[in-house]
Amino acid sequence: MRGDVLGYVVRRILHSIPLVIGVSIIGFGIMHLAPGGPLAVYTLNPTITVTDIERIRIALGLDQPVHIQYLTWAKSMLTGSWGFTFFGGRPVLEVIVERLPATLILMGTSMALAILIGTLIGMLGAVRRNSIFDYLATTGAMLALSFPTFWFGLMAIYIFAINLGWLPSGGMYELGEEGNPWDLLRHLVLPVMVLTLVLVATWSRYARSSFLEVIQQDYIRTARSKGLGTRQIMARHAFRNAVIPLVALLGVQLPSLFSGALVAETIFSWPGMGRLFVDALNMKEYPILMGMIMFTALFVIVGNLLADIAIALIDPRVKLV
Amino acid sequence: MSTKSSLTRRSLIKAAAASGLIVPASGIYSPALAQRRDRIILGTTQEPVQFNPLLYVNAGAENIPEACLFDALWDVNEKGEFVANLAARIPTVENGDISGEGRIWRINLKRDVKWSDGQPFTAKDVEFTYQTIVNPKVAVRSRSGFDLIKNFKVADAHTIEIELDRPFVPFMWAWQNMHIVPHHLLSKEENINTSGFNAKPVGTGPYLLKSRTAGSHMVYEANPNYHRGQAKIKQFIHKFVPDQLVAYGQARTGEIDYLGVSGVPFDRWGEASKLPDRNFFPLAQPWVQFVYFNCGKPQFKDPKVRRALYLALEMQKTIDDVFFGAYKRTLSYLHTSHWAYNHDLKDAGPNPQLAAKMLDEAGWKVGDDGIREKDGVKMKFTMSTTAGFPARQATQAIFQQNWKAIGVEMEIKNMPASVVWGEYTTKSQFDTLLVSWEPTVGMDPDYTARAHSKMIPVKTGSGSNYTQYENAEVDRLLEAGVRQTDVAERKKTYARIQEILLEEVPFGPQGGVFQGQITHKSLQGIKPNQYVVDAAWNVHEWSWG
Amino acid sequence: MTDVPAPATTAAPSRSYAQMIVQRFVTHRMAVIGAVAVLLLCASALFAQFVAPHDPMAIDTTRRFLAPFASWTNPLGTDDLGRDTLSRLLYGGQVSLTVGIVAMITTMLTGTLVGLAAGYYGGVIDNLLMRFVDTLLCFPQVFLLLVVAAFVPPTILSISLIIGLTSWMEVSRIVRAQVSTLKEADFVQASRGFGASNWRIMIVELLPNIMAPVLVAATLKVATAVLMESYISFLGYGVQPPMASWGNMLTNAQGYFDTVPFLAILPGVLITFTVMGFNFLGDGLRDAFDARLKIDP
Repeated sequence: MRGDVLGYVVRRILHSIPLVIGVSIIGFGIMHLAPGGPLAVYTLNPTITVTDIERIRIALGLDQPVHIQYLTWAKSMLTGSWGFTFFGGRPVLEVIVERLPATLILMGTSMALAILIGTLIGMLGAVRRNSIFDYLATTGAMLALSFPTFWFGLMAIYIFAINLGWLPSGGMYELGEEGNPWDLLRHLVLPVMVLTLVLVATWSRYARSSFLEVIQQDYIRTARSKGLGTRQIMARHAFRNAVIPLVALLGVQLPSLFSGALVAETIFSWPGMGRLFVDALNMKEYPILMGMIMFTALFVIVGNLLADIAIALIDPRVKLV
Repeated sequence: MSTKSSLTRRSLIKAAAASGLIVPASGIYSPALAQRRDRIILGTTQEPVQFNPLLYVNAGAENIPEACLFDALWDVNEKGEFVANLAARIPTVENGDISGEGRIWRINLKRDVKWSDGQPFTAKDVEFTYQTIVNPKVAVRSRSGFDLIKNFKVADAHTIEIELDRPFVPFMWAWQNMHIVPHHLLSKEENINTSGFNAKPVGTGPYLLKSRTAGSHMVYEANPNYHRGQAKIKQFIHKFVPDQLVAYGQARTGEIDYLGVSGVPFDRWGEASKLPDRNFFPLAQPWVQFVYFNCGKPQFKDPKVRRALYLALEMQKTIDDVFFGAYKRTLSYLHTSHWAYNHDLKDAGPNPQLAAKMLDEAGWKVGDDGIREKDGVKMKFTMSTTAGFPARQATQAIFQQNWKAIGVEMEIKNMPASVVWGEYTTKSQFDTLLVSWEPTVGMDPDYTARAHSKMIPVKTGSGSNYTQYENAEVDRLLEAGVRQTDVAERKKTYARIQEILLEEVPFGPQGGVFQGQITHKSLQGIKPNQYVVDAAWNVHEWSWG
Repeated sequence: MTDVPAPATTAAPSRSYAQMIVQRFVTHRMAVIGAVAVLLLCASALFAQFVAPHDPMAIDTTRRFLAPFASWTNPLGTDDLGRDTLSRLLYGGQVSLTVGIVAMITTMLTGTLVGLAAGYYGGVIDNLLMRFVDTLLCFPQVFLLLVVAAFVPPTILSISLIIGLTSWMEVSRIVRAQVSTLKEADFVQASRGFGASNWRIMIVELLPNIMAPVLVAATLKVATAVLMESYISFLGYGVQPPMASWGNMLTNAQGYFDTVPFLAILPGVLITFTVMGFNFLGDGLRDAFDARLKIDP
């Protein structure tokens, strides 16, 4: 069995290589073929003339044909630095990794909370189908999905930070409080609330339909006819089967997690990858943008892979092929 | 420049309450509220990414690490005078350091300066800095001034002799703009662009970089061996608060002792000036906001038309309504407070009737569709600036209305910064731009790069005269101005240039840009300086009173 | 898969089937509310020219920052340049809804086309197209959207296209899944036996039979497109000023957030209202067509 898993993982990784290459080519292509570029940032400096810009273009290697630039970048990607940023001259990997913990803390907390609450709501909704609770939960989820996240974030800041003054409006730590978990918690409340709301909505809808499907299956009906209580049935039979598609969903949802982080981090000045991305976008820092794209792509691929393995571990009927 | 308020304490509180602004006294932000005397927290909305003073691109947040960690040969003070820093004295014709009709410069360096790693600072470092600036492999932002150096000689360990191609008075500014980097560390680097030094810099400056938390703040400690005397405040913290409103809020509560770039939001200036225990002052930023006309386009070829278009704009109204009076109307590319500003310039606008008349006279008659035209060309054009700036968009909306009233149609075409300031600007593809720019060589009034006919990039491949403006008299005056050493003479030259530019309007100035800064009241030694962008230019003199 | 919907080839769908769908939809209370909301919004946007009390771009700085519900001339107050908020909201709705609908059409066309081709032809074409879809799905949409939006000059059309072209991937997956099960069905085989061309089979035989999930997805896509438009406008990559869109009204309001909160609240409420309308509508349609169809929210 263990050898099985290993072989499967290796095969899957080999299969995803063309995917990664595809992602990098598309990403690089979009950025380089479109108008504008990083040199525009230099024009804003009045001492810089066109002669300077042409000189810097050559110094940064931006005068090379696109495919050469791509190969140079790909080489730096494979040799470990992931390229160097234009404006800071630092290795891209280093720049991304120093922002990673903040994003992981924010997204991890939101995701964990959302899964917990969402599964619970979904399960209850399925068991008490068409009850008032189910109705409220379904409508509530719809409402939550309709909020523009950034607006909801602004409103949360307005109410809880500006008007009531209960919570900080942004950032991750107060100065001098770095590493203080209590301080971190206070800063986490608002962004996590905003992110979790949308995630719970999605998650509870999936959980509900997944549980409904399982409940309606024959063996549950059989169990019920044997006189087992709902709680026992859920615990013994339904839960495991209903969770399997949800695990798969987890893998698929990972990229959207980064999108969510992008929005929340901009609104709440969270020092994570999302803000790095927006800043890099404004400056046309190709190396950082490419690094971020590759990073999320790898994240998605690994996420899907882990989800598949997890499903195989939960469900003995599934074989890893 | 000091605080505007001289109110009693009681009326202060009343005013604050009326504006809904009583700062919560509860200890929500307890750690920061306890203001400490051994450190200062300076907040900006931007985060510096490049700590090598030769490599950063634009003035702003990156000037803070530059001022903390590095020194230039000389600084410019709040009166616009040069004061020696790493140089032992300012070179002048009088003291004999400038000779050969302004072509030979002799610079004496201070003797007892050390890099923060203990190595001595010598003429070799200055030479290396110069070599790096002209090194084609290094992405140094500008060579302005340095490209005139014909010969660079290290006379002895503390003396340099520079020979210029031709006399160039603004040469002082070139060195004020470029801080000196260490030869002993960087000369070994294979590629300075990506050197580890850029993130872990070593300088001669008043502070040492202790730690950096990405996306949050940087911590500096005073350099005990600083050659101008150890800084009075032990710790200097540079905090990044991306949202301007939040940053302002933190300056109010005391989480930030000094609010630098981007300052107090314009609509809060009244409120900010009444804050207890805070100093509020509007600080002149070196740049002026303009409408750029592309003289290469058929609509804008005729100076009379540009003049008419400029006359139709309600410049003061945009300043009052959009910038809440924070900008100061100017009629030239200099702030009115600049020593070379021509105070004889008269603001003739807004005068839509005269503008309409001038356009009629120039042959631009109102067509059937209400838009003026001449020889088949419609008086219809676009105006571009960076997308997503509400204040600039509001300015554009007012301009659009002003022009519409005289039969001129302007369409707003804003783009992301990386597009609009790319070839769209440098290759003069725009119709008009809304842009803020400072003079081109430090704060010297020289404007050759922007206004000389030899500096049109689409024609000559060099310079930054993006409006494609050509005027023989301006050319001649610009050439003379950089050779004149007598200040009164120079003033006359540049006064005439400003007069012509206002007459022919290749770029129509709107106002000098100001930012509202807030400091803690007991913070001493801060000297607002309109000749530099960086708030921390004299950080070694700051202290708690 | 045995529960393929009844083939609709013989004639128009039978009367009872259509009746059943309408009946199911009407009993779905939220769906009706959604439909009414959508109709209302579309109507107000469509007739903005007649309904709006003022020119949405008319500046009057003597009447700036007026509070809502205080005067009849500016029922919802005015913004930082004294422009009428109600009028701007109405015209802003035009932008949001146009972008939502055009983006949806783009999404549907691209997604259906790719899904049809992949599902019908199978083999190498299927493989290539689906690998391409996988590749694009590796990019988070906001990511892709912002990168492209940062490069393309913003007009209503370009924004719609950008949103549409970055969100068709799921649709193509849904369509492909449906088509690959349907193509073995008897009526398709029969039609092939009669010598119908591939195109004919795809358009005439297969397409009508997958309309249900596509329609549902389409409604939901309008909702997400409206959200996306507001987000890119909010970040400054949206339509050009002084034209109003709900997203750029929010950006402008951000600076007066603590002093004039209404400027930020109103456009946000309208975005939520619109998105919710379409979401409920889509949800109702889904239930009406088939309770067991699964399309992501």
